[in-house]
Amino acid sequence: MALVTLEGVGKTYRGRTGAWEAVRDFTLDLAEGEFFCLLGTSGCGKTTVLNMVAGFEQPTAGRILLDGRPVDRPGADRGVVFQGHDSLYDWLTALDNIAFGLRLRGMGRGERRAKAEHYLKMVGLTGQGAKHPSELSGGMKQRIQIARALANDPRILLMDEPFGALDAMTRAVLQGELSRIWAETRKTVLFITHDIEEAVALATRVGVMKRGPGGTLKAVIPIDLPFPRERTSDAFMAAFREVHALIHDEIHGAH
Amino acid sequence: MRTDRLAVVAGYVAGFALLFLIWHLAATLLVKSVLFPPPLPVLERAIVLIEDNILQEQIVASMRRILQGFLIGSAIGIPIGLAIGSFRIVRWLLEPWTEFFRFIPAVAMITVAVIWFGIGEESKVFLIAYTTVFVVIISTAAGVGAVGRDKIRAAQCLGASRLQVFALVALPATVPYILTGMRLAMANAFVTIVAAELVASNDGLGKLLWDARLFMQIEDIFVALVALGLLGFATDRVFRLLIRAFAGRFNATV
Repeated sequence: MALVTLEGVGKTYRGRTGAWEAVRDFTLDLAEGEFFCLLGTSGCGKTTVLNMVAGFEQPTAGRILLDGRPVDRPGADRGVVFQGHDSLYDWLTALDNIAFGLRLRGMGRGERRAKAEHYLKMVGLTGQGAKHPSELSGGMKQRIQIARALANDPRILLMDEPFGALDAMTRAVLQGELSRIWAETRKTVLFITHDIEEAVALATRVGVMKRGPGGTLKAVIPIDLPFPRERTSDAFMAAFREVHALIHDEIHGAH
Repeated sequence: MRTDRLAVVAGYVAGFALLFLIWHLAATLLVKSVLFPPPLPVLERAIVLIEDNILQEQIVASMRRILQGFLIGSAIGIPIGLAIGSFRIVRWLLEPWTEFFRFIPAVAMITVAVIWFGIGEESKVFLIAYTTVFVVIISTAAGVGAVGRDKIRAAQCLGASRLQVFALVALPATVPYILTGMRLAMANAFVTIVAAELVASNDGLGKLLWDARLFMQIEDIFVALVALGLLGFATDRVFRLLIRAFAGRFNATV
């Protein structure tokens, strides 16, 4: 059985200016342990899909299942890494941010500290735990977000363009780190991006979305390359070209 | 860090020195009137008043009223502000109240306060609480409304209940707004206490001002004014430190 199932999911917003169909007839099964990149141009509805899986928004058509049960609200079984870093708690240290979900569950102080330290190390920030978010760089804040989500041990990690606001160098480093962490934990990931290279570098499968309105899944391509991936290899280039060809039509015409 | 703080203190000292220098020059060279004494005679008068324990008593009287009324006003205002910010029904019900009363200045309430509570402590404390409560309500409610959406969503998908979202996210995120509201309210409290003590009081800095005016003791007036300025300055510094501590980096809670 698939871990997450989206069945004919649609989302239409109704406002004063009329209806806007963000997502139409979106169907997808996510398997346990896969790294799925949802790739699309801006405005294609990919973030809406993530928000519905997270339970922040409700579909207006179709249904979403997690472990066979319908999703209707946010829950600890779906960890989210947000695009911006406003989601971190400024008044808590990095370590306390990571331990936040554990604290909600009533885990004892010593135990959650040890666990938070473990994830702090996993994201490569050993020794930075006492700092507050305002003292950390953009890349470090995203590492803390990833650690916070992982420390809660969710069934699936939902990542909404987590590296979109970072400079190219930092982004490449964090992509490598995320790939390593995924290989260590084999956590199921749904990763939203508009960056073809990022998708090909990280994913076991890439889903390409049609451009909006009424964005839907156009094609799903497995990326059968070994990790860590060599971005200059011929195989990587070939995968890149395959995905690029699919999204090309969506890019030209999206403006 | 340390040199920063030293520079700030040095800045304050220099700033005040400059202020007193300008005052001195203005009083000795420009105005040259008995109605505008230079700082030195005022300082001498202040020393006399301190030696006779008069100045301290007035300061304590005023500050005690301010503190009592301020704490009562904040204790009432914070929960109401949180409720207004959190629940739409409470907002609909109470917003007309706050929007109505905040345009009736505490100074205008002095008459009612004196009729109700007499010229003793109660009327002053009531007026300070009154002037504090609406400012605190409004900034607290605004703070609740300004909590980032992703902060709340992040807590929800880490498994937070509604109560946990409120207590562990909305409340701490609102603390800087509450403190800012209290800081503004403190400035209002200074205005109100002087006005109330001018009109009806047996002691306090306002009374000192009033008596000095009656007996034409110009130096006393200036002693009271400088005391008010310094007290306000000190209180505001304390608030700024508190806001800085809560707004980010120094507050550790595991």
